[in-house]
Amino acid sequence: MLAIAQRNLRIFFRDRAAVLFSLLAVFIILGLYVIFLADNIANGLSGIPGVKFLINSWILAGILAVTSVTSTTGAFGIMVEDRSRKILKDFTTSPIRRAKLTGGYILSACAVGIIMSIATLLLGEGYLLLFDGELLPWASLLEVLGLIVLAVLASSSIIFFITTFMRSSNAFSAASTVIGTLIGFLTGIYVPVGSLPDGVQWVIKLFPISHAGVLIRSVMLERPMEISFAGAPTEAMEQFQQNMGVVYYFGDYTVQSWLSIAILIGTTLLFFGLSMLNLSRKSK
Amino acid sequence: MSKIMEVSHLKKSFGSLEAVKKIDFYVEEGSLFAFLGPNGAGKSTTIDMVSTQLKPDGGRVVINGYELGQEDEHIRASIGIVFQDSLLDPLLTVEENLRTRGSFYGLSRNDLDAAITSASRTANVTEFLKRPYGKLSGGQRRRADIARALIHTPKILFLDEPTTGLDPQTRKSVWAMILKLQREQGMTVFLTTHYMEEAAQADYITIIDHGEVLAHGTPLELKTRYTSDVLKIKPRHDEELAALLEEQAITYERDAAGIYSIALNQTVDALPLLDLFRNNIENVEIINGTLDDVFIRLTGTEVRN
Repeated sequence: MLAIAQRNLRIFFRDRAAVLFSLLAVFIILGLYVIFLADNIANGLSGIPGVKFLINSWILAGILAVTSVTSTTGAFGIMVEDRSRKILKDFTTSPIRRAKLTGGYILSACAVGIIMSIATLLLGEGYLLLFDGELLPWASLLEVLGLIVLAVLASSSIIFFITTFMRSSNAFSAASTVIGTLIGFLTGIYVPVGSLPDGVQWVIKLFPISHAGVLIRSVMLERPMEISFAGAPTEAMEQFQQNMGVVYYFGDYTVQSWLSIAILIGTTLLFFGLSMLNLSRKSK
Repeated sequence: MSKIMEVSHLKKSFGSLEAVKKIDFYVEEGSLFAFLGPNGAGKSTTIDMVSTQLKPDGGRVVINGYELGQEDEHIRASIGIVFQDSLLDPLLTVEENLRTRGSFYGLSRNDLDAAITSASRTANVTEFLKRPYGKLSGGQRRRADIARALIHTPKILFLDEPTTGLDPQTRKSVWAMILKLQREQGMTVFLTTHYMEEAAQADYITIIDHGEVLAHGTPLELKTRYTSDVLKIKPRHDEELAALLEEQAITYERDAAGIYSIALNQTVDALPLLDLFRNNIENVEIINGTLDDVFIRLTGTEVRN
């Protein structure tokens, strides 16, 4: 299983284009953000101290949630490619258990997701520092790392499920384009979630990966919010949290961290189970 | 010699298409076995089944003493396959490829190192072990494929058209390597090929078409059974020979160049005929039947199409 995972990691990271494309959605978000979203949002929050640090941290948290999806999608591309190029034949005629083979693919996808997310986090922290921000304190950094792992597990589970339906590389790259395009909307990171219509808000709040976004935001925005809302009334901060998706409400109920974590874990288990079901249905 | 592989009443249909109707054959340990048939004859389907990739609809296959369908893991450990298309990872070096694939066979680290060294030496890939597979030439790739198939020193080596698509020189060297494996290391080789001069060197040949075995035997047996020798004569006086042949009631054919062809049951049957025409021969030759003739006679198709 480790040998397969190691192979997949080598193949993924040697294919520069694949690495780049798996981050395409991230670059697009970053581009949009730098060009006009940042100013837009900052204008709405004028007069607040440390607004740049606040907004930069906010977008970085969102990007981390998206990275967990797009990078694992890229990694699972290897699995589809192996199937469509018949390389799988070489594996299935060898005395290696199917479960170990599948385990190897999942393991490598998770590893790719975590590695790419950490790289994004480090680059993002550098960016924050560059524009009058502060680095995350150690305790928060550890929390974010833990959340990255959760996000990657949930994302890879969903993507794995989608992958089990894919037979050709073309179909898969089409799917990953769609995923890359939609993911920014589904996780509610292009625009503050509070400025969207109610129905759309619900879609975002019910999409499991956006809970990774909420959790990471709540950790990463802790310090910037302290600076920005020092001396401001509590309502101002609460309104900001609701508007920017730092806290979600299901109607009147405030979604607690434990529920978001439970949603991520539940998603992981659910889609993993569904994938297994789909795989066993297919093998004769 | 013992049978390392035995196939009986093998069957497989895809929907209404009976790809393999009923195939029986066996392979003796240490032999070079050629499995021939035109495109669509059921060769690939048969190989897919015996290599545990495809479940047969019926029949029994025993490889190295293991029963297909019940002891597949053991069968997979006993066979090595060189697939028609290249199935190694282009972005990895040959050595990385061999290491990944070698790890499937439960070898210890030291054993795996030793296996890689020995397989690369046998298949002659040592000089480009550190180069990415994707950057190799066709012949080098094929050798790397063979090294991969040898990594666990299989009991029986399957080669699906191992020399197709190679230039003549590379083809020759790959073929020499296959012969060496069988002759010097005593490995059982199971091979499909489009080249009759390769099949002619096999110990045993089985020809299939439409999912059924048409004929089997050693190359010599097949040639004796399914072809006849031909005596070709260019006479000095055309009409004289024709008259003589008519008189003796010998069937013949005459082509546009004025060359007479007479089918022979045995090569020595030519002698009395030559004696008869002795004074009217400008040129003469005896053509032996070839495996190509066997193949065309049995399947009604050219080998290469």
